[in-house]
This record gives sequence, structure tokens and C-alpha cells, in this order.
Amino acid sequence: MDLRKLKKLIDLVEESGISELELTEGEEKVRISRALMPNQAPMMQYMAAPQTAPVAQTVPVPSAATPVIAEVEGHVVKSPMVGTFYRSSSPDAKPFVDVGTKVAVGDTLCIIEAMKLLNEIESDVAGVVKKILLENGQPVEYGEPLFIIE
Amino acid sequence: MNKLTFPILQLLADGQFHSGEALAQQFKVTRATIWSAIKHAEALGITIFSVRGRGYKLPQAIDFLDKNLVLSAVGEQREWINLIILDEVASTNTYLMQQKNVPHATCVAAHIQTNGKGRRGRTWVSQLGASLTFSLAWRFQCGAAALSGLSLAVGVALMRTLASLGVNQAQLKWPNDVLVLDENRQGKKLAGILIELQGDLDGPSTAVIGIGINLNLPKTVLESIDQPTTDLNKTAALNKNNNQPINQNFLLGTLLKHLVSVLSNFEQLSFVGLRDEWLSYHAYHRQAVRMLLPNGTEVLGVVKNVADDGILLVDTPLGLQRFSAGEISLRGVNMQGVRHVVGD
Repeated sequence: MDLRKLKKLIDLVEESGISELELTEGEEKVRISRALMPNQAPMMQYMAAPQTAPVAQTVPVPSAATPVIAEVEGHVVKSPMVGTFYRSSSPDAKPFVDVGTKVAVGDTLCIIEAMKLLNEIESDVAGVVKKILLENGQPVEYGEPLFIIE
Repeated sequence: MNKLTFPILQLLADGQFHSGEALAQQFKVTRATIWSAIKHAEALGITIFSVRGRGYKLPQAIDFLDKNLVLSAVGEQREWINLIILDEVASTNTYLMQQKNVPHATCVAAHIQTNGKGRRGRTWVSQLGASLTFSLAWRFQCGAAALSGLSLAVGVALMRTLASLGVNQAQLKWPNDVLVLDENRQGKKLAGILIELQGDLDGPSTAVIGIGINLNLPKTVLESIDQPTTDLNKTAALNKNNNQPINQNFLLGTLLKHLVSVLSNFEQLSFVGLRDEWLSYHAYHRQAVRMLLPNGTEVLGVVKNVADDGILLVDTPLGLQRFSAGEISLRGVNMQGVRHVVGD
């Protein structure tokens, strides 16, 4: 499997938002899993299929597009669970907040949904929405930053 | 809101004619007052036959929610439940979500839900006496992350309830729709579950569990719903030796009893303790399926299992994938029932 193909697979995993992908092709096996920690590019293990090769190779993949959140000052609102990030209550409704929206403690910022379990995320600080770190409908991991409020 | 509407409906629940005059005497009001209470019922979407000289009548007899009947069906667990029955409410889930410090195990059921909630702004269609809609608030010590399997656990309580009522045709569709498969293996929705959470990363958190069950929906209503739908009476009638209509109060009481038991089990063992049972109810276990993801993409694969936290595991040409969202459907059967080439 060449590096171009690996890169393509990584992009695929990132775009689709699945958390893990395992692929066996002949004697080669590759597993890509999205990191549970925020701000990390997908991690990847690359190894020969176990029945043929006892020695596994690991190819670390450079983190291409790690968002640099640390530079932005302000309060980070994180996701309390794994799920899908929604900025509004329904596809036709206005987003709860936009960049620049002034929020009070308890104002709804977004909804995280997993398996028909909906969690309205409220702001725990008063301030102005400085950054929205995810797109509507994107998958989100536990503890992943969602908003920056200043 | 009209104070007389629901007391009148309670009398009309017998499916017989009640004259305006008799009703006026009974409630010590004028016939015009009765008339305006009836108008309010009609504004809520309730069909009432009004025949000159005979009076008012519902199209058919219905079960009227009754607190004592529900609680007696709950049995020993009744001490747990704080049961509130409302006449009309926009959404039982929203009602509970808006209460401050709602007591543990508060159940709100409504005769009429005018704006029942589905996911992503969808609505849950319900009718007086034709559907059971209620919400149960349950407090957990843990945070939201530990509750992800809850959605599936609630499905187990529903399935146990249906089995105890002799309805064995129902199955679950991940994460928690209750379906009856027709002869073309197309699922018709019998019941739905929507859970809303309040709480922090670490807990404690309150889950408001909303459940809607179709009991006896008129044909016009069934046809107005934008997905294949069925109801409990039609499903129960599939059993030849089971022609007793299912009583709404008994259904709610039995469901609460099973919910208390399943939720207590879930608190101790999480979803893991219920997983095998859940899998035995899953309509699409080990089936070739199509997953429609929230971003609009589709994934084809074979359902392998569900993880400890309720996440669906699907074998795909690209390997094992994990899903916490998505609409699952059988491959080979699409919404119109058109067959696809095997292996597509």
C-alpha cells in the first residue's frame, strides 16, 4: 500500500467522521482510528496481516491539519459525549449562536446527538462566541472543543 | 385552554351520544358553554360527531388516561413513580425539560400532545385515545458520556412490555425505533423514543425519556405520516387468539414497571448487562444494510454487533466501522420496496 493511498484513506476517515476503519488487502492490514483526544490528527497503525508476518511495521503519519486552538484565548466549551454536532434545533431553524453572538450562562449553544439521545449544550460562561470549531452535522468526540467564548 | 373540554371528553370516551342538554345539566353550565368546550376539542384536532337531536359523540370508544388505573398496573414499583397526567400539552418532553428540579422518576402523560417532538425538528403525530405519549424524567449520578447506551436500554423496556402484552411481532431498529416488519421485510414504525439530556461532563445528569406508541390510529392519520407506520391494535390483531384491544392505562403502567426495572439495571451495569437481550430484538442483526449518515453520505455493510456504549458496529468493504448516528435500512429493499442488485 503506497503512501498516497494511505493519505487518501486518512482523508476518507476524517471526512466521513467515522471513528475507526480497518482494512485488509491481501497480506497487508491497516487500521486508522480517529483520536479521542481533541487537537490530534487521526492516528494510524500500519501492519502486515498477523498470519504472515510476526513483525509489525508502524508508519507514523504526520499530522497535516491540526487546528491550532491553543493560540485563541477564551473559554473553551467541550462536548460531554460522542455524537453528532448540530448548530440548530432542526434543519430549517436558525443556528442557536453564530460567531459574535452574545451569550449568557445557560444559553443553548448547540445540540450533540448520539443514538437519539439529544444533549443541548449550554454556555457555562457569559460572553461573546469567538469561534465555532465544528461544522453542522459533523461527528464529535468526548471532550472535543466546540466553541470558544470570550 | 377550556376547563370543561377534558371533563366532557371523559364522558364521551364511552363512544355513546351525549346530548348538549344532559352535558349542560351535569356540569351546571349553559349549552352554549358546552358548545364552546366542544369547539376547543375540535381545535385540538379531535373529531367529534355532532348530530342534531342526539348530541355529541366520539367516532369510537377510547381509553381515557386514569392515574389510579396506571399506577395499579405499575404494581409494586408504583412508589417510585411521580405520575402527572395533563389534559393538553405541546410536548411532554419539553414540559419536563422546562421544570426546575423535577423529582426523580416523574412521569408526564398527556391526553393530547399538540406538538410532539421527534428528532431534528420532526414531529410525533398523536391523537386522543389513538396514541400513548409520555415522558419520564430519570436522574443519573453519572455524566452524559456514560449514558450513551441508555437509548438502546429504553428499547429493551418497550420490547419487554410488548411481549408481556402478547405482541411478539415487534422488533427494534438501531438505535431504538420499534418496528413491525411486513411481508416484504419493510419496517413499519410502531413506537419511537427520544431522549433529552441535561447535565455536565461529570454528572449528575437528568434524562427526559420521551416515548410515543401508536395505539389505534385512524387510516387517514396513518396515511398522513411520512414514513411507514402501524399501531398496536393492528399488530396485536395479527395474533389470531388475541383480539382484546390493549388498554392504554394498562400499557402505560406496564411500561413504567419495565422502565423502572431496566433503568435500575442500566444504572448498575450500564448497557452491557442488556446487550444480549437487545441484540435478540434487533431486526437487522447480521443483515446487509445501508447507513445514511447525518452528512448525507451512505455506507453499505453488514451489521456485526453493538458496542458497550450502544454504538453500531458494521462490517464494510473498508473494514469495521462504528456509528453513533445514522439511519439504517435493509439493503435490497429501499423506501419504495424496489429491489436492488445484490452486492450493491
